[in-house]
This record gives sequence, structure tokens and C-alpha cells, in this order.
Amino acid sequence: MNRAAEQTEANPLREGLSTRAVPQPCSIVIFGATGDLTHRKLLPALYNLAADGELPPTVTVIGFARRPKSDDDFRKEMEDAVKKFSRQTVRDEIWKNFSQSLFYHQSDFSDESGFKTLAERLDTIDKERGTRGNRLFYFAVGPDQFEPILKHLKTVGLNKAREGSWARVIIEKPFGTDLPSARELNRVVSNSFSEEQTYRIDHFLGKETAQNILVLRFANAIFAPLWNRRYIDHIQITAAETLGVEGRAGYYETAGALRDMVQNHLLQLLCLVAMEAPTDLSADSIRDEKVKVVRSLRHFIADQVAANVVRAQYAEGAINGQPVPAYRKEERVDPKSMTDTFVALQLNIDNWRFWNVPIYMRVGKRLPKSATEISVHFKKAPMVLFNKETNEANVLVIRIQPDEGISLRIQAKMPGTSFRIEPVKMDFHYGTSFGKASPEAYERLLLDAMSGDATLFARRDEVEEAWAFIDAIENAWSAKKNPPELYFYPAGSWGPDEADELLARDGRAWRRL
Amino acid sequence: MLMESYSLGEAVELSAIGRKLKKLWQEGEGAMARASLINLALYSEKPGSLKRNTQLIAKITEDHACRALVIGANPSSKENRVEAWINAHCHLGRSGGKQVCSEQISFLLEGPCVKFLPSIVFSHLDSDLPLYLWWQDEFPKTMDPQLWAWVDRVIFDSQTWKKFSEQMGRVETAQREAKQRIVLCDLNWTRIDKIRYALAQFFDHPASHHHFSKMQSASVDFAPGFKSTAILLIGWLAAQLKWKTNQQTMNGSCRFLDANNRKIDIELRERPGHPIGEVAIESSEIEFRIAPACGDLLEVSRSGGNETAKPQMMPAQGNDPLDLMTQELLRGGPHNIYLRAVNSVRSLL
Repeated sequence: MNRAAEQTEANPLREGLSTRAVPQPCSIVIFGATGDLTHRKLLPALYNLAADGELPPTVTVIGFARRPKSDDDFRKEMEDAVKKFSRQTVRDEIWKNFSQSLFYHQSDFSDESGFKTLAERLDTIDKERGTRGNRLFYFAVGPDQFEPILKHLKTVGLNKAREGSWARVIIEKPFGTDLPSARELNRVVSNSFSEEQTYRIDHFLGKETAQNILVLRFANAIFAPLWNRRYIDHIQITAAETLGVEGRAGYYETAGALRDMVQNHLLQLLCLVAMEAPTDLSADSIRDEKVKVVRSLRHFIADQVAANVVRAQYAEGAINGQPVPAYRKEERVDPKSMTDTFVALQLNIDNWRFWNVPIYMRVGKRLPKSATEISVHFKKAPMVLFNKETNEANVLVIRIQPDEGISLRIQAKMPGTSFRIEPVKMDFHYGTSFGKASPEAYERLLLDAMSGDATLFARRDEVEEAWAFIDAIENAWSAKKNPPELYFYPAGSWGPDEADELLARDGRAWRRL
Repeated sequence: MLMESYSLGEAVELSAIGRKLKKLWQEGEGAMARASLINLALYSEKPGSLKRNTQLIAKITEDHACRALVIGANPSSKENRVEAWINAHCHLGRSGGKQVCSEQISFLLEGPCVKFLPSIVFSHLDSDLPLYLWWQDEFPKTMDPQLWAWVDRVIFDSQTWKKFSEQMGRVETAQREAKQRIVLCDLNWTRIDKIRYALAQFFDHPASHHHFSKMQSASVDFAPGFKSTAILLIGWLAAQLKWKTNQQTMNGSCRFLDANNRKIDIELRERPGHPIGEVAIESSEIEFRIAPACGDLLEVSRSGGNETAKPQMMPAQGNDPLDLMTQELLRGGPHNIYLRAVNSVRSLL
């Protein structure tokens, strides 16, 4: 029985009202409450949930940060943020009510006494607001801050819940910078919180279309028989953005596109596309199948990296007709930086289903348009009947963002007396078919964490397996002897020619986006 | 360019509807997409319904792309008259730029030809899409079984019925004839959707579950004309919590027995205002209370024992047909709980 069914059995009034697990009353402590993530994503998400009636009424938010501030100052600051970033207009009546559940706790992350007073405050809130000892700790801070916070949470006993209550921790990426650091981070987290208490957030998985991949694959019988090496020629995953580093140079210089995007978002999408059907929709059933995909990735040995992975950095160019500087000329970027702003790679999944089906991924900044899409390219039909030159393959495209949707390219006969065949596209757009706006990824993920559903969060083994795959590439790049070349591409182009060559050598080409 | 319009649109011959619709799209200019997830047929015998329903469809299609078949009928007319119009409702899509358009085909049927309703509806369905039939009048004694054979969901508002048991009997007969395939969607049930949600959330936490066996009484305020709505709410509580009807007192209040034969007194109070006003449930320790606030919100609170009331706001359900339909179309599902609720208070309705 899944969690939603269990809850319906315990609360018969829930039957038919909700197919998802219901979030529990709790206190949400946000470490890094004055930061960008809190302003742009977390508080707007919580407000939207409250406005939609999805948030349990007693949920309480405690912002934890260093700067001195009163509860009222914090509420005002959050009101401004929510008004600026919320997907729906802020209504005074709802805000007034919601804001009474916001509190601010000033302390340095390294100050144990600040955590003691936090524990006392949470106890008081439990009594006064009925949050029942449930605590959700959200780490909206850099990983370097994790250790002191976790240590102090453990010291004051906030990592353990009382009987009948729960304590959970949400951590934001990056989950390490390589396998050793990821293991160390996981060790640090696991010193205070068990794996069941740990929720590693990857906001890509909170997107409606990412979740729809499972529905597309496992609720539509027509795709299942085709979803294997017999019918699929190759798969492409593209995550393109027009933006540059936009003030994140400090972080980006140490990360690069491979660590920033491929290790987490793109591999998570690949897992959803390539996984076997889970036995049920429980978190671990799904994650068990996902981790099998990552484990099946064929790891590169050092001298294979140059042939299968193209790294590049944007040079001066233009985006939407506006000149933009080279990456090395961006503020706070090393003028000799070797950071990758673009990666294209060919990888293989060594399992029964996908053996010898190449997976091509590309991710980059300052590309001509912003789009994240997965395309499944099927093998060509034997064109013995028609003009061989017009032989195009069927392509199923899953658009993750923007303009979420699904399209299928098929062959059709052009009107006329001859058999002239042209590809046509059947296109489903979420925005056209469903007028209702999808909730933001953070709304879904926060609700899931409050209701104890970890399905859309990365598990420790998934993260570590992904790093093991990525490290082989990073190690080759950082080798002193003959490291693979860093290519350059003009901003506003689709990357260097070498990325095209990656597919061209196999007679393939990147999809035109 | 096709633009939003509240008019019936272009008059067309019945036999030319398909062709004219095609032409309508061919002549449309600019970035435009025709969208349709369902066939939504509206049937009304009220004078002026075609125009009113056109306005409704214009709004409904903002959230629910469909092919709308709007039927205004006057079966009592002696003369046969059949007229048809086509139109499109276009809205700017969520991502901007592109107009998303839904088609509307309107029919005016007068005289004996009204009996041909099924053939008129069926010949203009968007293929492979489900058919939702919104029946805005009382159901007649006899209805063409052909119609039910094709309907996936029948939408009605039992609040407007004069005789609930008679009308419900007819709907259930139709449902049986369709081998239970039709989902019954009562907008009177949709009316209490948000209230049910607000009541349910009181009992989500395990520490609240024990209150189920300690409930002593409940009161529901309802506006004149909405007693059936209040009874449906009570029916839902009774069905889900396994209460049995015990007796109905003279003033409209009633008593139930819970699974342990404990008495639960229900007070239904007619008060001007929202269809459902204040709702309160008392257990031996706590009072759970919901009341309308600020127009389209509900104030929910629990108090008693060691707890002080901390009112919170939740969304309320609007009562106009547009709000009810928009919500109903969002819900989906088989609505088995509705039937359970009806069965538990059938004698009171």
C-alpha cells in the first residue's frame, strides 16, 4: 500500500480528494534565509501552496541566517520577494495570514548556542502552532556550510524526531564536486541524518514534463515494445541556454558545465528515459530502477575521453543580435580559465535494453536558444517501397522546458500523384491543451518532502554512481599529460564543430532545435 | 485573425458544418492552434440559453480546451426548426504569442426534431475524445438510450432539481443502461469540494484520528435553496465515517449513529449568504470550524482542549456555473464517493 492509500485508510475523509500523499504540519527551517534561493524560489513556492490550499495550515517557516533581523523585517522582506517572484498575484488576505507563520532566527551557522535557542523556539512553536514536532531543515547554503550546521543540529538533538514525529533535511546541489567529495558530503550528512531523512533536491525532477516521462512510457502501451535497441537508433538530450554565467562566475569557475548540469540534471533525465518499469510508484522502487541505469553507464578510460567528450568554452559572439563577451572576459572569471561552458558527449548504457544505442548529450551556455529536450530517434523503416532519399526516421521529442510538450515526427505522403514523402510533426503542447498553469518545481518538491515522498529526490547511491562516471571525464581533462583540448565556440552558435563531428562520424546529426 | 467572441458566429447549414469549420481554420491568420481535449455538449431548454452558454464556453475554454456543442432546444414548439452556427473562442496561450482556439458549434432545435438530438450531437463530435454532456434542465421521463451509449460523463446540478429522488432515479437508470460507464458529475457536489477538502485536512495528522470516534455533533448553515447541498455534505461525512441515519426531526435537523451506536446530532440551519456558510463539527474535545471569509476564501480553525484557535485561509469554491464547471472539469475520476454520499442520505434529499 502506498503512502497516499495508507493516509486515506487512516483518514477516510481524504478518499477521492487527493491521489498524492498529504503533507504533514511541520516547521520548515531554512538555513540561508536571506539568500537568493529563498527569495526567488522557496518563499514564493510556499506562498503559492498556501494560496492553493495545499499547505497544512499550521506549517511554520523559520528563516535562519546571520544578519540581525526581526520577525517583522523578515516578513516584509519575504513579502517583497513573493510579490516579485510568485507565479500568482499576492492577495493581501492570504499573505496576512501566511506571514504570521514566518519567523526569523538570527545566528551564525558556527554558533552552537544559536542552535540551542532554535531548538527551544521550535518546541515553543510546536506547542503554540501545532506543528507536532515535525521538522524540515532546508539547506539553502553552499556545501561548505553543511558541516557546521549538521554538527550543531546533531549536538542539540534536532536531527532526531520524537516518537510519532519526523525530522528531514533537504540539501541543494552541488552534492559534491567529485566522487570523494560527494562521499565526504554524504558521510557528513549521514552522521546527523539517515538516508531516509535526507532529500537531495534536483529541481529538474519537479518539472511536470520530467514526471510525464514516466507516464508517457508506462501508461501508453504503444511505446513499450519500441523502447529498446531493436527500434531505437539513438537518443539525444540537449540542455541549452542563452544565458552566460550571470553573476555565478565564482561557483561556475569551480564547476563547469559537466559538473553543473550533466552530473545531476541530464543524468537524472537519462534515468527516466532509460529505466525499466518500477514494480510500483514508491520512492525506492523508482530510485532502484534509476540507479541501475547510472550503474550501467559505460565508464570512459582516460584515452577514450577525447574521442567521446567535447568540452568547449564560449568566445565573443552575439545573442539575439546583442554582442556578448567571451567567457574569459566575464566578471570574476580567470582570463585563462579552462572551465567548460559547453559539453557534448556520447555515452553508452551497457544493459540488455540499450546496448549499443548511443546516447548523445549536449549542454551549454550562450547557445542560440534556451531549451531542454530529449529526443528518441527511431531506426529508419526499410524504404524498399519509396524513394530512398526521402527516408527520415521517426523522432519522439519530449520538451522539458520551455513550451513543455511532446511531439512525434512521422512520414506522410505529400498531396499529388506521385509518392513524395515528407516528415510531419504531431505536436502536443501542455500550454495549449491544459489551460491550468503547472505548479513550480519547488512547490511539488516541498510538498513531497513534507509528506515524506522521496521519489523525486536523488538517493545517495544515485549521486555517487553519477560522480563515478563523471570523474573519469574530469580526471582526463585535468591530466597533466595530453589533456583533451578545450575548444571555443562563438556565443550564439550551437557549440564547436567537434560537437557535430561526434555524431557525424556515425552518420548522425544533432536535432535542429 | 480569429478573436474571442460571445456571438454565436457564422450561421451554417447542418450538412456544411464540417466543411465550414475547416474553412474557419484555413482563413484564420497569425499564430494559432486549435486545441481540444474533450467534446463538451451543453443542453438547455431555457429561452436565451444559447447566448448565455456561449459566454460560458468562452470562459471555460480559457482553462479547458474542448469542442463545444451548445444546444438550445424547445421541444414544445409545434413547428420544426433547426439552425446551426459555428464559432471559435481564442485565448492567448500561457506561454504567450500563440492563440489557442476552441471550436463551438451551436444548435437551435425546435419542435419534434429535438428527438434527433443524439444524431445531431454524434455527427459533430471530435473523434476519439470523450463526450461530456452538461444537462442544464431537469431530466425528462424518457430519454433516448442512444444518447447515453456515447456519453462518458453527464454533468448536472441537483441543487436545481425539484424532486431529487425522481431525477436521481432517471440518471441512475441511464447509468445502468450505459453499463455503469457514465460518470455522474453533480455540480452540487462540486459546490462542496473545497469544504470537503478543508474538513479532511483537520484529520490528516495521526494525532487527530481519534476524534473520528468522539464526534458528537455537527452544524451546517446553508442559504435558502441550498438545503440539498448541506445534506450532501452531511451525506459525505456519514458515508465516509460509516454513520447511519437514525432519525429526522421536525425542524430539518437529523441524527446519525456512528459505528459504535453513539449519537451524532446534525443541525441544518437556513441562513442567508453563501450556499454553504459556517460548518462546525464537535468532538468531545475539539471544535473544527469552517466559515466563508473575504468572498472567495474559507477560514478554517480548530479550538478547544488546550488549543487556541489559529484561523487559516484556504480557497473556497465559487458558486457561479463557470467556477463550478471549471472545477468539475479539473477533477476527473469516477466520483464513487458522491454516489456513496447520496446513498447515505437518500431519504433526506
